[in-house]
Amino acid sequence: MGSDSLVLSVDRVERSAHLSCGRAAQSQGRETMRTIAGHARRSSGPFGPKLRFGDSMAPTALTSAAPLAAAIFLVTIGLVIARPWRVTEAAAAVLGAGAMVLAGIVSPADAAANVAGHWNVLLFFLGLTGTAAVAERSGAFEVLAGLAAGLSGGRPRRLLIAVVVVGAVVAAVLSNDAAALVLTPVVYVIVTRFGLEPLPYALACTFVADAASLALPTGNPVNVIVSDRLGESPAGLVPILLPAAVASVAALLICLLVIYRRQLPARSPLAPRKGSWASWREIPRPLLAGFGVAIAAFGVASAANLPLGPAMTAVWLFLLALERFGGRKIGPAEGIGWSLIAFVASMGLLVGGLSAAGVTSWLANLILGSAHDSPVMAMLAATAASALGSNAVNNLPAAFVLADAIHGAGLPAASAHAAAIGTIIGADLGPNLTPVGSVATLLWFVLLRQRGLVVTSWSYIRIGLIVTPVTIAAALAVALLLGAAR
Amino acid sequence: MTQPMRVLVAISGTEDPAFVADVAGVTDSRGRPVEVTLVHVVDPETRAALGRGASIRSAPWPSRTSGATDRRLEAADEEAAAALLETWRERFAAGLAADVTLLSLVRHGRPEREIIEAARSIGADVLIVSARPHMGPDEAGPHSLGHVARFVTDHSPIPVLIARHSR
Repeated sequence: MGSDSLVLSVDRVERSAHLSCGRAAQSQGRETMRTIAGHARRSSGPFGPKLRFGDSMAPTALTSAAPLAAAIFLVTIGLVIARPWRVTEAAAAVLGAGAMVLAGIVSPADAAANVAGHWNVLLFFLGLTGTAAVAERSGAFEVLAGLAAGLSGGRPRRLLIAVVVVGAVVAAVLSNDAAALVLTPVVYVIVTRFGLEPLPYALACTFVADAASLALPTGNPVNVIVSDRLGESPAGLVPILLPAAVASVAALLICLLVIYRRQLPARSPLAPRKGSWASWREIPRPLLAGFGVAIAAFGVASAANLPLGPAMTAVWLFLLALERFGGRKIGPAEGIGWSLIAFVASMGLLVGGLSAAGVTSWLANLILGSAHDSPVMAMLAATAASALGSNAVNNLPAAFVLADAIHGAGLPAASAHAAAIGTIIGADLGPNLTPVGSVATLLWFVLLRQRGLVVTSWSYIRIGLIVTPVTIAAALAVALLLGAAR
Repeated sequence: MTQPMRVLVAISGTEDPAFVADVAGVTDSRGRPVEVTLVHVVDPETRAALGRGASIRSAPWPSRTSGATDRRLEAADEEAAAALLETWRERFAAGLAADVTLLSLVRHGRPEREIIEAARSIGADVLIVSARPHMGPDEAGPHSLGHVARFVTDHSPIPVLIARHSR
């Protein structure tokens, strides 16, 4: 990385903004372009008016603070991944955010404005994690898994398909982590009752959690973070992302059926009794009705472009009230993702620091510089960058950085829209490519060991190498067919 | 009293029901009493990987992989092992001579090592494992032996019989 590339990138920024001087003039140019593009929702989308300091002061080239900002960010990510001395992710991110302020890259006032600017996203995660916890306590996951077991009729192949479908619904509605963390153990219990090897089904669950998480704003924190930063309407992306998610789940299913074509027996070794699955009747009637009402109301609210944070929080409080009304005495804060909220707030601040130091716009030119006027190229470049970034770091920070980079790149509206969709596809589907933090990979390791294979790093990541590109390609193809990059 | 002939039969769950007939063919010991022990090994590795993976994945999400989940998975494994052995016990009881004593045994760990250990601990005279169920006698090999069967054949201190499911 010499001074040559720096000069080149500055040159690109200048051409891309159709201006040849000054920071203020450039950001003004960006605003003009946005207005011309007629995307009024961009300035005050469903995530509310923007309060980001990054908008007004993001430099277009690396500043002298850039190496320090990048170092703080990378050390923080290192702590998040390696977690030495039992430091949690949230604690590491908070430490990193504090370092950004102490180093003077972000002023305390800007830091406060940054966290406040994320109010809507933070409220959204509060509501979503709370709602997932209510659903878990109600036994809904057992009921859904029981439904899959009943539909399978004891045929292992059909059970795999049913598990993938149920996992996809859970991931889309209650987030990928609800599917991977709550549904997987429930599926494990059901599969062992059939006397079947639980491993293929557990793997299917963890993969579908990511493959289906594109579908709805609730599917993945990344969806909301990217739409928020880029002023996209999350509901407006659903007509493209939902069919793309269906395609990626179908592609995943085909991969799994091919991979397990010999391992699944024709019939399960055990035939559990009919009544051994949880039924809808075990969920309190008012709560069951409440789930239906909540899903419908949230759908209407997001279609009307109301702020999703308060809407999700309202859903949570409504379900919590029904739960308490039904006689369940449980602390309201039970199951809330406080650490997720702290993590997202700190990550926003860390990326704010990178942005202030000019690192994200430098990255934007590196990634999107040549794709400036072509929405298709912008989408492909953003997908590749977010998928690779998700494996190099972690998908939340990768999506944060990339969204900020796209925001600051001054792309034409169509290219920015295409790049946003590309970022979401890459960051949602990418993380299973390599072993970093992937449950699927740990399970794959066990599978290979059970077959008595010596595990090399190549075979270790092989299932991810098969599934990840296939699902990404399927999702991209559908998004392009639906005119996401036009 | 003569020592019974002790037969250890490994049950993974994927065996063909015709396995019983194969075992019946070798347990005719000309008057010597026969004791057949069915062993099934619960491999806790999947469960453990799920827990390890979840702890990586869950943070920064609220941790749901409490001890309760682990216990639930363990209970499911135990329940399945018991149900599996009961199913096969019934099949063997119906398919073997009436004077054969049937015992069941559940062990935990890596199946290939635990089966060898079980053979040692009960003082088995012969160990019976099954070839892969979808391989008929006409198409024995390649890959007709699973990893566990191969390891057991290689490491067993006593004679090993590989059943190929007479049809």
